[in-house]
Amino acid sequence: MAEVILRDIKKVYPHSETKRTGLFKKKKVTEQHRVSHLKITEEGVVAVDNFNLEIKDQEFIVLVGPSGCGKSTTLRMIAGLEDISGGELIIDGNVMNDVPPKERDIAMVFQNYALYPHMTVRENMAFSLKIKGLPKEEIEKKVEEAAEILDITQYLDRKPKALSGGQRQRVAIGRAIVRNPKVFLMDEPLSNLDAKLRNQMRAEIIKLRSRINTTFIYVTHDQTEAMTLGDRIVIMKDGEVQQIGTPQEVFDHPANLFVAGFIGMPQMNMFDAELVRDGDKYCVKLEDFTVELSKEKTERMLAKDVQSQPVTLGVRPEHVELAKKGVDATVDVSEMMGSEVHLHVNVEGKDAIIIVPTLDLESSDFKMGDKVTFNFGGNVAHIFSREDEKNLEW
Amino acid sequence: MKREVQRKRMLSVAFALISIFYLFPVFVVLMNSFKSNGSINTETFALPNESSFMGLQNYIKGMTFGNYPFFKSVFFSFFITVVSSALILLCCSMAAWYIARVGDKACNTVYYLCVFSMVVPFQMVMFTLSRTADKLALDTPWTIPVVYLGFGAGLAIFMFVGFVKSIPLEIEEAAAIDGCGPIRTFFMVVLPMLKPTLISVGVLEIMWVWNDYLLPYLVLDRNQYMTIPIHIQYLKGSYGTVDMGATMALILLSIVPVIIFYLICQKHIIKGVAAGAVKG
Ligand SMILES: Nc1ncnc2c1ncn2[C@@H]1O[C@H](COP(=O)(O)OP(=O)(O)OP(=O)(O)O)[C@@H](O)[C@H]1O
Ligand SMILES: [Mg+2]
Repeated sequence: MAEVILRDIKKVYPHSETKRTGLFKKKKVTEQHRVSHLKITEEGVVAVDNFNLEIKDQEFIVLVGPSGCGKSTTLRMIAGLEDISGGELIIDGNVMNDVPPKERDIAMVFQNYALYPHMTVRENMAFSLKIKGLPKEEIEKKVEEAAEILDITQYLDRKPKALSGGQRQRVAIGRAIVRNPKVFLMDEPLSNLDAKLRNQMRAEIIKLRSRINTTFIYVTHDQTEAMTLGDRIVIMKDGEVQQIGTPQEVFDHPANLFVAGFIGMPQMNMFDAELVRDGDKYCVKLEDFTVELSKEKTERMLAKDVQSQPVTLGVRPEHVELAKKGVDATVDVSEMMGSEVHLHVNVEGKDAIIIVPTLDLESSDFKMGDKVTFNFGGNVAHIFSREDEKNLEW
Repeated sequence: MKREVQRKRMLSVAFALISIFYLFPVFVVLMNSFKSNGSINTETFALPNESSFMGLQNYIKGMTFGNYPFFKSVFFSFFITVVSSALILLCCSMAAWYIARVGDKACNTVYYLCVFSMVVPFQMVMFTLSRTADKLALDTPWTIPVVYLGFGAGLAIFMFVGFVKSIPLEIEEAAAIDGCGPIRTFFMVVLPMLKPTLISVGVLEIMWVWNDYLLPYLVLDRNQYMTIPIHIQYLKGSYGTVDMGATMALILLSIVPVIIFYLICQKHIIKGVAAGAVKG
């Protein structure tokens, strides 16, 4: 139950390479950086830079991005497990930069559960309350309640070793919710589970969320989790925020090429195309096919006074249709998915995917080398600048 | 299938033979502790018979021999063993936790010094050590555990560091978020997780300190303080002749506590040593 504000948050790992060392800060190691795209300045490796976000009370925020983009680092800075190199972290109106983790009133669920192996499930969940010095009956009551919510009552007297991955994850979540924290942090909590269990736990988290009114910050690299769980999604790359928005906004109006490619399964198709301005109208030209952009898009581009230029055109596979007239392509592979067929096609040397609902087909039988023609509407074309890869509408 | 059973039987027989080899000396001591001095020397391996059987006389003699009370040696042995082992376990696990988690230059230096100390034989340092111990007033049973701490630290820190490194850091971070400072994190989270290593290191150190002869012999003032091994040796020294019967009796008595200790903790010891073997 708290607002969290991150203002210009920055994290620099100094060149003398400090490593996470738990309670003792600073450990020198000689270890190569995992990712080389990070900015390297005189101070060190910039893992997170210029992170601005205002999280409303009870909001569910998801940080998503490819491996090594600084999601965990950001979360750990909020938790207080990592020093903040620059900027301000404000929880509930108080600057928390130098407050130790235990006084921040946050709870965290780790990817590898991090349960205390020598304690039973009950003791694991009661631990923080015991440290706080709550009376026994109250602890017992809270643990029972949480166990009830998570459906782990029957395991309360087992050790974590005797539990499955999914059960352990529930215990880890239980350990966090008994404390009734202001902010609930989760670092890839589902990534150690198999696909089926992951879907199940995802649904549980949605349910859990409606039962406990807390601010959630959730880290994942899985876009499905991000889209289904988040009120707002923060997409990161190489330590920088690419876009912040609701799942719908991010899907419909990706701010740049990276977001466009990252969100959506299968990936958005990208083509080299030509943007042509004709007075108050915009057309996009791909091969011999020209489509006029929709009214809203045109208005936004006019407001920015975008000129004719070569662009990267993005169209989602589900927005592409087979048609008599349009762009010519050659089929490489066709994947029958049941209700739809994914056609992998080749357009002038570039790969693209077309999703065709099987309902629209007389026969779903495409062979390699078949010629198809496709087109798409002016409302679903995303136009990105060639220079800075930004969406030209915004 | 059949071959498997046969193989197991062969192994059982082999191990039974080996354990007889191990038990035989103990058995000889037990046997001789009931025999008269003369027959120990002449027919060492014979079972006690009517003429050589002495009953508990050797035990009584051993325990009352000389002017130093046996129970005092027993007390000092116990005290030194318990305090030294406890000190080693506590201090070394703490140090190892710090070394494993911080690991800066100073830590690594200390760590390698500890490892190095394991390969230095005691005989190489014993004379300088006994002088130093005298100077620093470490020559009483109350202070000699400090010397043991120094000698035991090498192995203990080596084993503890190995184990701590295998513990995921996230568990300690979870403890920090749950409200623990370093002290509580160590005692409530890290130390209980170290239990297998604590046991295996504990066993090794207890056996070593309990049986150690040379160090207390060199360091302690023999007129005032004796441990069991020194006491046994004292039986031999003061007369010129050796009272073998009493020696055997006392040796046996000194084994008994170790055996009791082992039987009580057997389950944990085997688990602990196995865990140490994998993780250390
Ligand atoms: N101790 C460190 N010293 C130097 N660089 C570090 C250190 N820890 C992390 N980094 C760098 O910071 C970047 C961000 O790491 P972080 O763990 O936040 O990534 P992530 O987004 O959580 O990735 P993943 O999805 O793989 O968990 C990485 O590129 C990493 O190389
Ligand atoms: Mg991570």
